[in-house]
Amino acid sequence: MRQIALYGKGGIGKSTTAANLSAAFAEQGHRVLQIGCDPKHDSTRMLMHGGGIPTALDLVRERGTSPIAPEEVVFIGYRGVRCVEAGGPEPGVGCAGRGIIATFQLLEKLGALEGDVVVYDVLGDVVCGGFAMPMREGYAEEVYLVTSGELMSLYAANNICKAIARLAQHGRSRCRLGGVICNSANTHREKELVERFAQAIGSFMIGFVPRDRIVQLAELHRQTVVEYAPSSDQANVYRTLAAAILKNKQFTIPSPLETDRLEALAFEYA
Amino acid sequence: MNVIPHITESLRLEGCTILGALSITTAIRDAVTVIHGPSGCTQHNFSLLHATFLADGIAALPHLLSTHLTEDEIIFGGEEVLETLLKDISAPGPGCIFVLSTCIVDTIGDDTSAVCRKSWGVPVIYLPTAGFLGGGFNQGLINTLMTLSHRIEPVEKQPLTVALIGEKNLEYEVETNYAEITRLLNLLGVRVELRFVRDLCFADIDRLGGAALNILREPLLAPVGQMLEWKFGTPFIDCMPEGFSGTLRFLAEVAHHLDLDVPPALRKETAHQDEVCAKFADFRGVAVNFGAEHRLSGIPAIDEVVTTLGLQPTGEGVMLPLPVPVPIGTAGMERLLHRWRRVIHVSL
Repeated sequence: MRQIALYGKGGIGKSTTAANLSAAFAEQGHRVLQIGCDPKHDSTRMLMHGGGIPTALDLVRERGTSPIAPEEVVFIGYRGVRCVEAGGPEPGVGCAGRGIIATFQLLEKLGALEGDVVVYDVLGDVVCGGFAMPMREGYAEEVYLVTSGELMSLYAANNICKAIARLAQHGRSRCRLGGVICNSANTHREKELVERFAQAIGSFMIGFVPRDRIVQLAELHRQTVVEYAPSSDQANVYRTLAAAILKNKQFTIPSPLETDRLEALAFEYA
Repeated sequence: MNVIPHITESLRLEGCTILGALSITTAIRDAVTVIHGPSGCTQHNFSLLHATFLADGIAALPHLLSTHLTEDEIIFGGEEVLETLLKDISAPGPGCIFVLSTCIVDTIGDDTSAVCRKSWGVPVIYLPTAGFLGGGFNQGLINTLMTLSHRIEPVEKQPLTVALIGEKNLEYEVETNYAEITRLLNLLGVRVELRFVRDLCFADIDRLGGAALNILREPLLAPVGQMLEWKFGTPFIDCMPEGFSGTLRFLAEVAHHLDLDVPPALRKETAHQDEVCAKFADFRGVAVNFGAEHRLSGIPAIDEVVTTLGLQPTGEGVMLPLPVPVPIGTAGMERLLHRWRRVIHVSL
């Protein structure tokens, strides 16, 4: 079983990338589980054709101590991709990080964490220990950073490197950085910059996803690009990226950059 | 943000802020205290307070409730549960409700203060007592006294009255110490207007500003004394009397603040202290030990009585227990001497 986690700045396109990767993995015949680890619970929307699914935490809340069946938490989407949304509190209350931990405990209890590929789509930044849960022992062993060439996006990616590096110090942790995915924002010399950034942190750019209007159109039609426009160039980009991830054997403990160095790098390519 | 610089520099005896606050709030007969957190925070303190109450001869159970937070409230927020509980317990109309926050609700960011500010028909007083924010037991105690003090308005001064501030409700001699203070004040014709806070109703606290003098239990309560002096113009004595000469000084201080004639009271108390010392004349020359060779205890009130009675501190004498805290007044010293006598008789 391959367990991969996608991390990156909020709004950078993690959920779109995750859903299209899941769709591409499924197309290639793999049994896929995608887990949305964001209280916004919109990670699997395109795979479920726009239908929101009940979140694991809402269900736990509603049921209390009554038993929960796996099919009440895991929903089948495009090409059999199994979809889970962790859910979480309303903005401004409670502890969403603890919610992620509780969701993982529930999924383990239900025996739902299985398949050929598990994709964890995690909230923008590792704001507390709860959001590092997917990187902990027994879960994702490969983290992919989703970033554009914008400085703040690189900054968030660099912060996540710090979390991976810290977790890697724990003797039994097997979590490693699998690579950097550039989800283009059409900034100047973006591909070069992200490649350079990936190299600087001790990794590599595993894929470049160009900005394409088809992504917006697919979302408006409540589908992944892979489903909405299967013969489009963009769908092939996701397929290529999915294949690269499955073939990937280059896993590293990243060396996060000092802020000054990161800024200098961004300035160099501006 | 508070941090403990190193584990070896942390205070191990400081306890939790919650217990400091509870030592005050549970001494108000018609108050209910809610601990907003998991049930363990309440259960642990309930047991401790119940045992202390029983030791003091109080059969009542502490009026202590928990919001019983579970993982569900930690994830989604605990404000709703608190509101539900406040709705239930405010209905019968208790004198007041105290709401104490715990570490976890302050970590997840529950706006406990905002919930308490809503209209509940009875006073609902929020006390931030998350232990991890620092401060410990004493800070909880002081903050609670300060919070209550801030709420009250000036009232007419009652001549020849005092208020006792911050009696240690969890110490086992609290009533005995109170009896001694009352005896000493009677020598001057002064009475206790209010025990702030012990064995009273919430409405009684309004009388706090009426005392002509405040007597603090110990110097660490000085911020409370200063605040009451600023708010009501009430002078204060910063601790209850310890030792023989300390007791005489206390009488003189009270008399000074209340503009009273002190010599008759001093004469009476000095004669009383002489009678007490006479009871322990057999102590003269007995070798005693306070844990350090040829050294006194280092506690002025204790060392004074050792010297007065002619005990001989050596490294090999009878090991005498030192009281924590030092008992109050002449009566406190007499109790201590009786305890020492038992130890000496057993050892010799």
